[in-house]
Amino acid sequence: MKKKTSDSLLGMAFFGPALVLLTVFLFLPMLLTLIFSFTDFFALNPALTHFTGLDNYFQILKDEDFRQAFFNTVQFVIIIVPLQGLGALGMALLINRVTYCKKYFKVAFFVPVVMSLAVVSTLWIQIYSPEGILNSLLSLFGIPAQPFINSAGQALPSIAVMSAWQGVGYQMIIFLGGLQAINPALYEAADMDHATPWQKFKDITLPELKPLCVFVFITITIGAFRMLVQPMVMTGGGPSHSTYTVVYDIYETGTVNWEIGLASTMAIIFAFFVMILTIIQTVLTSDKEDKHADKKTKAK
Amino acid sequence: MLTKRQKRNNRILAAVMLAASLFFLFPVIWMLANSFKPDAAITADMNSMRAFVPPALNGDFFSNYVTILTNTRFVRYMCNTLFYAAVLIVLGVIVNGLAGYALAKINFPFKDRWLMIIMLLMIVPMETIITIHFLFIAKLGLLNTVVGYVLPMIVNPFNIFLFRQVFVSLPDDVYEAAQLDHCSPIKYFFTMVLPMSQSVVATVSVFTFLNVWNDYLWPSLVFTSSDLLTAQIGLNAITSNDNTTTGQTLAVITMVTIPVILIYSFFSKQIVEGVVSTGSKEG
Repeated sequence: MKKKTSDSLLGMAFFGPALVLLTVFLFLPMLLTLIFSFTDFFALNPALTHFTGLDNYFQILKDEDFRQAFFNTVQFVIIIVPLQGLGALGMALLINRVTYCKKYFKVAFFVPVVMSLAVVSTLWIQIYSPEGILNSLLSLFGIPAQPFINSAGQALPSIAVMSAWQGVGYQMIIFLGGLQAINPALYEAADMDHATPWQKFKDITLPELKPLCVFVFITITIGAFRMLVQPMVMTGGGPSHSTYTVVYDIYETGTVNWEIGLASTMAIIFAFFVMILTIIQTVLTSDKEDKHADKKTKAK
Repeated sequence: MLTKRQKRNNRILAAVMLAASLFFLFPVIWMLANSFKPDAAITADMNSMRAFVPPALNGDFFSNYVTILTNTRFVRYMCNTLFYAAVLIVLGVIVNGLAGYALAKINFPFKDRWLMIIMLLMIVPMETIITIHFLFIAKLGLLNTVVGYVLPMIVNPFNIFLFRQVFVSLPDDVYEAAQLDHCSPIKYFFTMVLPMSQSVVATVSVFTFLNVWNDYLWPSLVFTSSDLLTAQIGLNAITSNDNTTTGQTLAVITMVTIPVILIYSFFSKQIVEGVVSTGSKEG
């Protein structure tokens, strides 16, 4: 009995500092975000706050800027997910096959990952400049100078290509790990059956990598939903709001205009989408792992 | 045995990939080569292969770097960031480590429920609550202070979970032996648990460092005074100044990346471990 109380005290003493900080900087902010999303809380004049029910949610749905930000974010996701995901898979497959300088290729494609988003964005402002190096390279192929981040039509795809370039090496390493974990006996058996390389890829590599693919593609999607730094550094959300994202809108509404009520509503909608994606990811990947474990135990 | 044809194919594949990797890296090669040039040379070289070749080694070779180091507050920003990272590593390992140990080894009320809650917290994106963090820190009058910057970043559900997963497999008999020697639990934690778990301490420290070093939004909200800026915010302040040349901009972003390259080359094992156990780079 005495041991139990002393354990409780000890537990709370060890867990206490984290609990205090979790309460102040996670539980309370989450609760407040939810509450504020139903109010017109304006931080510069808190006395005038009213409970407004679902008004913010209706207002957001009609708000031009937010709709554009949401549409831009979705468009960004649609461009970057196949680009970065398939790019990483392709690189991993090639690096897995290559016999010369394997280590060099691993490092080379990983280099942009070590550069921060602010660094990459600052660098690519120069790369994408009208008289910049990319236009100079394009002119070698007879392609006229492109405006890239200076035009409303090209700015978002340009940022998406840059972001995929920055992140692709990270997922490449994850895929390489997955490829090396595939049982070589599977390929040996296929060789005995005289399987073509394409058949081996389709019937062995792809099914074995499927759980990893689900994981990687959803990770990229979540990351893309959270995109903010690139337009902040490169375009300020422009030209004409073409690179304005959901997180950018939350940031400007909440911390620049101090309209905490509206910003909270946006944050709730944003969190809803990201958390749904995370839950789908967890369910799909843990399910697959369990099945794998089942197979292994059955095999024993 | 490899046939001649297979050998030839392997060589062709390597050659094609070498070309692809050089094309992939052209922005980085261009950045390094031109960080040593004055702007006139950068513009003059833009339409030839010289754009990817550094200039001849002479007295002015490092002049962009020297200008940045002497005429701007760049060194200050770098030191600031190193200091914030050091503070957050120490506080983060203590607070999250103690919590992880409690969840792994101590029987206290609702332990399993707390673990569930910590795991649920891992899926909340920080962007959701950053407005409220900003409101809190502003109301407390802590904008433009180190305390205001550090306080919301200490506790981290990912790191608590990481610590807990490692501590749970520590042997119990060491603890019992320590108790017989009248070793207090807190002393046991610092002199036994942490040293026995160097690998996870290193992983958490490396991730905290990368997080602090690369973070953009939170420091840009808290800091406006140029005495306190982090390297990322400082680089933006330097490069958006009209007097900064393109060559100097490239020198700044090269120098900001150097510490991260060092971290990756020394701690690649810990980074891979962290990726595997949490499945995410963002803490």
